[in-house]
Amino acid sequence: MNKKDELLKIFSLKLRTMLSKVEFNYDKLQEIRLRVNGPLIVIYDNKEFFITGDSRMVEKDEDAYIILKNEIRETMEYISNFSLYAFEEEIKQGFITITGGHRVGIVGKAVLDDNKIKSIKHISFINIRLSHQIKGCGDKVLPYLLDEYNNCYHTLIISPPRCGKTTLLRDVIRQLSNGDEKRPGMTIGVVDERSEIGACYMGIPQNDLGIRTDVLDCCPKAKGMLMLIRSMSPRVIAVDEVGSGEDIDAIEYVMNCGCKLIATVHGNSIEDIKSKPILGKLVEEKLFERYILLSNAKGVGHLEDVYDANGNRI
Amino acid sequence: MVFIKIIGCILIITSSTGMGWYFSGELKNRISDLKELKKLLFLLRGDIRYANTPLPEAVQALSIRHNGKFKQFLTVIANRLFELGGVSFCNIWKEAVEKELENTSLSKKDLIGLSQFGENLGYLDKDMQINTLDLYISQLEEEINDLSQNVKQKSYLYNSLGIMGGIFIIIVML
Repeated sequence: MNKKDELLKIFSLKLRTMLSKVEFNYDKLQEIRLRVNGPLIVIYDNKEFFITGDSRMVEKDEDAYIILKNEIRETMEYISNFSLYAFEEEIKQGFITITGGHRVGIVGKAVLDDNKIKSIKHISFINIRLSHQIKGCGDKVLPYLLDEYNNCYHTLIISPPRCGKTTLLRDVIRQLSNGDEKRPGMTIGVVDERSEIGACYMGIPQNDLGIRTDVLDCCPKAKGMLMLIRSMSPRVIAVDEVGSGEDIDAIEYVMNCGCKLIATVHGNSIEDIKSKPILGKLVEEKLFERYILLSNAKGVGHLEDVYDANGNRI
Repeated sequence: MVFIKIIGCILIITSSTGMGWYFSGELKNRISDLKELKKLLFLLRGDIRYANTPLPEAVQALSIRHNGKFKQFLTVIANRLFELGGVSFCNIWKEAVEKELENTSLSKKDLIGLSQFGENLGYLDKDMQINTLDLYISQLEEEINDLSQNVKQKSYLYNSLGIMGGIFIIIVML
């Protein structure tokens, strides 16, 4: 199944038919937004477009197709494989990752229990963020991640949302895992809490993560990192979007037991990260040896700067 | 002429006895089908409870493991669920119950129960799925118990009725 079919099958029949007729270059398609009684919107090549009932992509919302409640309901049935119960934990966090690693954000009426979000009902807003595997996007970064003996540095990839940090992480994992003529490949353990890195389907990664990569899918990062160290003895552990106190404790553990760590985090600069109460501590203690800063100043995935452990630009 | 009458009598008795045996056999088959269905539901419950497996995957896994009369039923449901063809789960389930279980000995009442069970699957959270499955399994158990208690008597009744019915028809016709 190609990328287009894989993506379109999650939409209600009517939306599926409409979207299939729009002439997209799916590599440039970034988001599809559905809102009850709202227009069908796509973010394409960093610009917002509306989709009309006769499958045209226009810039003004006048002719845009208005999405009905039933279409959102049907779409949710497909997104959840007719089994919302199987995604309870994901729904609590507000998103589900679907086949292909695409992230589906969902919002509706929150159901609370003891002041914690128990579920979301009457789902009325859906945002599908497409995941793109870009092989080779890590080429520029890779030389900064390896020392003279081809050992990997503890690395933190910092980037605002939608700037390509997961895509970069994925390619770095693949390249480190495969190795090349000059450099042997290394065993990598990936804790893929949201199934975005490997996009596993029934435990099998749909994205290429290299030949020496073990993927622990849908597992909380903190628990997963410790589990991987004990079970798979990786040389490098890779995780996406760290941040919680538990994650940081696990990161310290990983760093102290001889494994190298590559992680990503939301932020605009090293200062941003320093100001975070828990993660900032790791930066102050100079545990990370490389910081990769991304932005979308010159397009998604633009490499802004690379810093060493002391925060000096390399 | 007498010879033809004797042959006719034998045919009537044979066919009526056969009918008795058929109904008695159907009763036993129904119990065994209900037990098979119960076993499948146990597996489905396990898959949902321990692995949080979505319905298409869970039904497909069942269809692969199972080699009995329900294989076609499960395969059709799994395939249609994976198709995502604009039909809701409960309709897919209902249609499969109506079309794919003709080879079983389940009664109309059993099929209605199975159809209604599908209406509540996939709805709400995991607890709801487990409760729905538990409720249906307990209903099946009751049905199986009732049938098992009476199976000997009913089989005897069907067999006797078959033979006696045949004799009765012969007497009337002679």
